[in-house]
Amino acid sequence: MITVCKHELKLSFKTLLIWSLSVGLLGLVCILLYTSMEGDMADMADMFSNMGAFSDAFGMSTLSIATLGGFFATEVGTVHGLGSAMFAAILAAVVLSKEEDGHTGEFLYSLPVSRGGAVTAKCLSVLINLVAFTVICGALYVLGFVMLGEEVLWKEILTFLGRMLLMNVEIASVALIISAASSRNRLGAGLGLALIFYAYDLIGRVVPDLKGYLFIGPFSFANASEIFSGKAAPTGSIVLGLIVVAVSVASAYIIYLKKDLAS
Amino acid sequence: MTDVIRIDNLTKTYGKKRGVTDLSLAVKEGEIFGFIGPNGAGKSTTIRSMLGFLNFEKGKIEILGKDSVKEHTSILKEVGYMPSEALFYPAMKVSEVIKFAADARGLDCREEAAMLCERLNLDTGKRIKELSLGNRKKVSIVCAMQHKPKLFIFDEPSSGLDPLMQNTFFELIKEYVAKGATCFLSTHVLSEVSRYCDRAAIMREGRLIKVDKVDNLTESTTKRVKVTADGAHEDYLYNGDVNELIKKLAGKNLQNLYIEEPSLEDMFMHFYEGKEEK
Repeated sequence: MITVCKHELKLSFKTLLIWSLSVGLLGLVCILLYTSMEGDMADMADMFSNMGAFSDAFGMSTLSIATLGGFFATEVGTVHGLGSAMFAAILAAVVLSKEEDGHTGEFLYSLPVSRGGAVTAKCLSVLINLVAFTVICGALYVLGFVMLGEEVLWKEILTFLGRMLLMNVEIASVALIISAASSRNRLGAGLGLALIFYAYDLIGRVVPDLKGYLFIGPFSFANASEIFSGKAAPTGSIVLGLIVVAVSVASAYIIYLKKDLAS
Repeated sequence: MTDVIRIDNLTKTYGKKRGVTDLSLAVKEGEIFGFIGPNGAGKSTTIRSMLGFLNFEKGKIEILGKDSVKEHTSILKEVGYMPSEALFYPAMKVSEVIKFAADARGLDCREEAAMLCERLNLDTGKRIKELSLGNRKKVSIVCAMQHKPKLFIFDEPSSGLDPLMQNTFFELIKEYVAKGATCFLSTHVLSEVSRYCDRAAIMREGRLIKVDKVDNLTESTTKRVKVTADGAHEDYLYNGDVNELIKKLAGKNLQNLYIEEPSLEDMFMHFYEGKEEK
């Protein structure tokens, strides 16, 4: 199992570097732009916080983008949220199906590796990738704070990264079902899944009637503006997220163990 | 001799489509067993069921005395499999693929792998995506043989290999079999079966239609008759009394007449089509 996990990590290393550096550096640039925009931000902050539903959707009604914390939450929060969700979905949506899609399944599964063991190894590799992604991006964000000579908001940043990681794991676990059920790579379906979850959260924050159902989506507990303004995650959202992860991973196991592998 | 492979009443369907129906066969320890049949006859379905790639509805498969479903991983430790499509991870180097296969078995196979790579003239420094089909087949051979398994399962192994490499490949099989291994060889190439196999099974439309020693398969009352008479040439399989055949031909103006033992190819066609016989 460890051999398969190491093999998976090796195969996905380039993808991890490309995505984590892209998202992380984009976040770093956003942070570094803060000083040059600080003066303008003070004037714009009032306007941005009074744009009704739009301000709510992007968290600008609860947090001032004139502060570095607020600026980070609204700008980097969105970049990291979308980028990490897409990375998680892409990774998990192909992790099982790629063996059949690339016709490598007959090689892999002719080795003394049980299918359950392979699923475990592949899930572990996805998790390690997501943690590595979070660490690389987090390090770049902290570097941004240090470069600006600002106090690092450790508590908020760590909470933000931890919740984002959980959100990534939840999206990856749902995408894993797609991967287990399909014998072709469904990259588009994975990306679509991440975007649907993001859109669900965005719409839920704009439309007042949907606010009560926001907790269902994985983005609900990872909202940077709420984290940086000290608000608690919607009730039940984290517990529900953990349940979704458990049920999705179990479903992926069952589907993959029962299916006939395509040649 | 013990049965290395024992299949009892195997039935596998793909929805409404037939795969294999009620297949039973046994392969003895130390033999090279040919598995013949045209495309769609159920050969790959049988192999893929044996290796656990497919879940079958009915029947039982025992490999090396172990249940193919319950002791699947344990069986694979002792099996060297070469699929018909030799496909690996394109970005990996040949040496990495070979090492990965050995690591997954928890074995250090460097010595055997080096010997095999040398005999097969395989460049281990190249990436998989740079290799031709023949060279990918060689990688597949090394991965299937480097751990010196008790049982080889080959699915169309020689396609893509040049004649010299085919020869080396079969020499290797004979060497491993001489040391106690068993070989299950699924192939279209009947000359390989007649040259290397002890016994063979013929599949047709998902069913086993004949299993016997290769010598016995070609030894029968059936004869291949090639006759040129009255300006016309005929070539057919004859199954009956030779005296009757001679009487029938006596009335004709014969230019040429050959009555031969049928080849394995003839017998295969005979079993498969049964329409060429007179």
